[in-house]
Amino acid sequence: MPTPLLAITGLWAGYQETPILRGIDLTIQEGETVVLIGPNGHGKTTLLRTISGLIKPALGEIHFAGQLVNGKSPEELTGGGLIHIPQGDALFPDLLVEENLLMGAYPRSAWMRRNELRDRVYELFPQLRSRARQPARTLSGGERRQLSIGRGLMREARLLLIDEPSLGLAPVLVDSVYGVIDEIARGKTTVLLVEENFKHIRRLAKRVSVLEMGRIVRTGTPDELLSDPTVAESYLGLVRGATSDG
Amino acid sequence: MVDIVAIVTTTIILGSIYGLVAIGMSLIYGILRVLDMSQGSMVMVGSFVAWGALVVADFNPLLALVAAFALTFILGVLTQLVSVQPLVGRGGIDFEMVTFITTFAVAMVLQNVVLEVFGPRQRNVPALVSGQVTVYQGVTLPYQSIAMVAVSLSLMLGFGIFLSRSRYGLAIRAVAQDANSARLMGVPIKRLFPLTMGLASALAGVAGCSWGHFLRLATVR
Repeated sequence: MPTPLLAITGLWAGYQETPILRGIDLTIQEGETVVLIGPNGHGKTTLLRTISGLIKPALGEIHFAGQLVNGKSPEELTGGGLIHIPQGDALFPDLLVEENLLMGAYPRSAWMRRNELRDRVYELFPQLRSRARQPARTLSGGERRQLSIGRGLMREARLLLIDEPSLGLAPVLVDSVYGVIDEIARGKTTVLLVEENFKHIRRLAKRVSVLEMGRIVRTGTPDELLSDPTVAESYLGLVRGATSDG
Repeated sequence: MVDIVAIVTTTIILGSIYGLVAIGMSLIYGILRVLDMSQGSMVMVGSFVAWGALVVADFNPLLALVAAFALTFILGVLTQLVSVQPLVGRGGIDFEMVTFITTFAVAMVLQNVVLEVFGPRQRNVPALVSGQVTVYQGVTLPYQSIAMVAVSLSLMLGFGIFLSRSRYGLAIRAVAQDANSARLMGVPIKRLFPLTMGLASALAGVAGCSWGHFLRLATVR
């Protein structure tokens, strides 16, 4: 078996004194698409934030592309091709739409090709082109989400972390956003996705992991998990009560 | 009418000098959330550099400006590394209050070092350019003032272009709005912070060149 792109063992992390992740083990091979599900507040977002370096792990190891990356800063990790599209939109509200996109191409290699990359994003999300000279804060919720994802596409990704891309989007837009994610996942980019919308998970992922109480409690194909009554039940319950944070 | 013209011209000149300092202060506050008390001392250091360059070293005026810019840039970077950087991201402290105190300490140190080296006597900072022009019935405008307004405005313009067009400028503005998102984009904030404080201090230093002459003296205050 080749070296996995991402290998997490015994990971503990959290905010200040409160551990949220309590011993995460997760391995993702290059090119794989893995979806994380689980109740809100049990650590999905925290896991993504820890992988991308925003939160320092308290215990355990994170290997990215065969290298131990514990405690590396997000700015170092992005250099290695890790892209994190955070929950909500996390845009720069007073920068123009176009400037927000250009920030996605901040690494020098991407900056050289920024116009070409920007045009590709405008092709994916034509709505953004017509808003190019507006501050990001004037966009609608759906447009913000498109911009946030578009900004994540402004450079080559080796590992793409996406946190609930469908949250707060109209169904039509969810389809187009997933169209884009599907396209990325079909390429050689590895994707780790937090999602609650099962329809899209089934189409995208071969593997789904359930995160509960800070641990990965189950892993399987979407169909396996769907046929497991406890997972299906807690999962469906989750959809009904889905509001915010993971 | 003479009074009004005199007041307006003085205001424009003073305003262009204060403006440079204010831009630096707000840049530092916007990006680092630091109320930088060392900026006033940077103005003072700029005055002394202008005095040293013009009187002691007999440099040409442009070189004096460049020297003030460079020296206060370096001082600003050092100030950031010593008094702010160790506190960035540290939990359990009131960052704004603590850095207010530490940068105030830097100001005290700068003032006392200059006081020790140059003594309490005031120094005359000569004009970068001499001569004057009468603008209106007895209201004269020294070329020095016009030059300083021109220097201030072109620095502001240059800085504006830097912030709006360049990759670093874009990053500075992005960090001011959301530092974590900017880090996810790959912005090395650990390097950007000292650079920002250096640039802001350099603006204060250049302002000090003209300020020193405006008061006709460089003095530790």
